[in-house]
Amino acid sequence: MRLRLCTFSFLTLLIFLAAAPTTFAQALDISSGGQPTITGAVNGSVTGTANVTGDLAVTINFGEVSPLNTNGVVKVIVPIALRSNQPYQVSVSVSGMNNANTQALQTSDVGFGVQNLRLLGGAGQICNQSTHLIRSPFDNDPATAATVGSNGRVSYASSLGSLSGSTVILSGPELSKNNSSKRQQSDGWIFDAIFVLTPQFFAPGVSSATLIFNISAGPNVPC
Amino acid sequence: MPHSPNRLVLLAISLLISAATCFAQSTTGTVTMSATVSKFVEINSGGAVTLTGNSGGGVTTDGVANSPLAVSINLGELGPSNSNSFVSALVPLRLRSNAAYVLSMSATVTSSGTTSNRISAADVGFGLGTISRTGTGVNTSGTDTNATSGDPTLAANGSVNGTSGRYEFTAVRSNLSAFSSATTALSGPFIMNAVPRSNVNGLTVPAFFAVKPQFFENGTTTISVTFTVTAP
Repeated sequence: MRLRLCTFSFLTLLIFLAAAPTTFAQALDISSGGQPTITGAVNGSVTGTANVTGDLAVTINFGEVSPLNTNGVVKVIVPIALRSNQPYQVSVSVSGMNNANTQALQTSDVGFGVQNLRLLGGAGQICNQSTHLIRSPFDNDPATAATVGSNGRVSYASSLGSLSGSTVILSGPELSKNNSSKRQQSDGWIFDAIFVLTPQFFAPGVSSATLIFNISAGPNVPC
Repeated sequence: MPHSPNRLVLLAISLLISAATCFAQSTTGTVTMSATVSKFVEINSGGAVTLTGNSGGGVTTDGVANSPLAVSINLGELGPSNSNSFVSALVPLRLRSNAAYVLSMSATVTSSGTTSNRISAADVGFGLGTISRTGTGVNTSGTDTNATSGDPTLAANGSVNGTSGRYEFTAVRSNLSAFSSATTALSGPFIMNAVPRSNVNGLTVPAFFAVKPQFFENGTTTISVTFTVTAP
């Protein structure tokens, strides 16, 4: 009798766990939007899944960014998929790369822009009453929007230095036609997060940073 | 009816997989990034060579600013028929680095002469002139250390030996005999701020070479000098 009670309790818990995501179906989801790519790198790499149902977990190694790298820029494109059944916003926060030496790599030395917002398959929602809005100043390709400042250092229209706390970079109406609690191959939108680093006479050293992308309920705009 | 333990286990696994799959959605994702900046130094030509006091000879291969340093100079006649005080060659050098640097030099002097009156390394004066850190992107606050005595033709850097009568470059590291092996000529802190390599500015310093025309043993002499910059 006691064993039967335990078994019943355990199965009830498992059934609750299985049902929970459905009961509290996530209306907002962020995931990989495809295989990230890297160009212009010397000893660099980027890892991430090509599967659009996989988590967004990308590791970028820009490689050598001293003048030993004679390429114009190191450019990384990270496709990111979004799903929602309600208006959404995407925010980004950055941590790390806090070099005290101003000649060392700074967050402002990593160009960051958002481009190429596109449907992820037939179940992506097309809204006619509202548009998806890439927030200023991130609507650019940093590789083409780079300039040399009066001090000779390369600057970008937007960079990781443009992020202050959790910064909204994108918002819009609902993204998915269906109301599935599971990620599917074709039920949302994708955008490209573009990161650019120009090799320069930076102070020697290794720098790193972590970006957290977050999707949450956004401004209430109609579809 | 008693439950089969195997069926219970299978049901539990199934439910766990179901739960895990449904939890696959997420509202956050991460991108981690890293980059490496290695020490970088380079030496290039700082511009055209200036040759003065020569009789005959000339600049065979001139320097071109910001191009690899590969200069060839014919100093011309160095015997008493050249009545100038010195034959001098000024070779501009341009250094760039993102780290503290050391410029060293080594030199060889070979002569067809066979006696002590032939031109030797000690007869070739050498020195680095005024160091210039100017231009956008250059670390203008850096202080460099010149290990040479500057322009070897300065009166303070040489004189006629009262005993032998031969003109000698006597100051510290003022002739090529001090550079028979790689020897530091200049050092200092990082030269360039964080700017792209396409920025053409840098540290510029003239390298002086000088020979006092004298009654050297006749023949031909070849002087070969190699500059090397490193970031220790």
